[in-house]
Amino acid sequence: MNRIDKEVSGGCQCGAVRYHATQMLDNSHLCHCRMCQKAVGNIFAGLVAAPDDKLVWTRGRPAIWRSSEHVERGFCANCGTPLFYRDASNGRTNLTIGSLDDPGQFPPRANTGTEAQVKWFGTITSIEDGGATETDAEDWAAAISASNKQHPDHDTPDWQATGRQQ
Amino acid sequence: MTASGPLHTGGCQCGATRFRISGAELEGSICHCRMCQKATGGLFGAFVAVDDVHLEWTRGAPSYFKSSSVARRGFCSACGTPLTFIWTKGRTAITAGCFDHPDELTFEYALATEHMHPATPGIAAVPAAPMFDTPEAEAAYRDMVSYQHPDHDTEGWP
Repeated sequence: MNRIDKEVSGGCQCGAVRYHATQMLDNSHLCHCRMCQKAVGNIFAGLVAAPDDKLVWTRGRPAIWRSSEHVERGFCANCGTPLFYRDASNGRTNLTIGSLDDPGQFPPRANTGTEAQVKWFGTITSIEDGGATETDAEDWAAAISASNKQHPDHDTPDWQATGRQQ
Repeated sequence: MTASGPLHTGGCQCGATRFRISGAELEGSICHCRMCQKATGGLFGAFVAVDDVHLEWTRGAPSYFKSSSVARRGFCSACGTPLTFIWTKGRTAITAGCFDHPDELTFEYALATEHMHPATPGIAAVPAAPMFDTPEAEAAYRDMVSYQHPDHDTEGWP
């Protein structure tokens, strides 16, 4: 596993928790194991690690739930965004690719935990295209755009996260 | 829509929030929009929508983040698992990964494909690799005691 010099920022949907890394590791992958599936509520977790010595939390702090004795799962307590998988023993924090401000720069290099891979994994990109939100549901897209509470995909000097609801 | 089995269960990773769906038609969709990406920390969101009359929260209940004026997103406040996307009265979309048996789900359409993560079209062709890079890490995983709720309903938990 090699270090890559790269400035990377990211955070949760509401913006209460933000991070910045000055190096990343070349381990981008999709983990299909049942624990990653459930942690992110998805059919796999897209992960790429930052070395712990190059990662800082620039706003707020993640909440942590320990999914086993060795593994911490970080998330935002205000909006729920899954932020990381961290094995405390190896000095790296696997950030969720979707929480990166620019998720496109880390294409996955491996599929792991494939024992739990959903059997329809290979069909995802052949599912019928329901069309662009902006054209198929213009009013809906406009309403989202006008009231979007998601933190923008770049660092901000100040940000007031919208509070969660019970 | 796809007619489906009479009963589906699921919940968050820690088991504080659990649901049951009975006798519903399930409507599966994959959404590639940036808000679904960020809410799930993923490359896309995978959801299955049901009418609320068929959905029961059998343990705990989600917390919600209102991501815009037209939608809110439910999650477990104890472990963070994204659970729902709600955009219309009387209907709830549930994240595919929190179903106890996601293999049973089917997906009819994809949304916001113009925002698809650039790697998504090729993900099925990405080679498989072992989960761990050292024998020690592999052994630790093998001997792990999972605190995740099992993939079925439980009388009491934990």
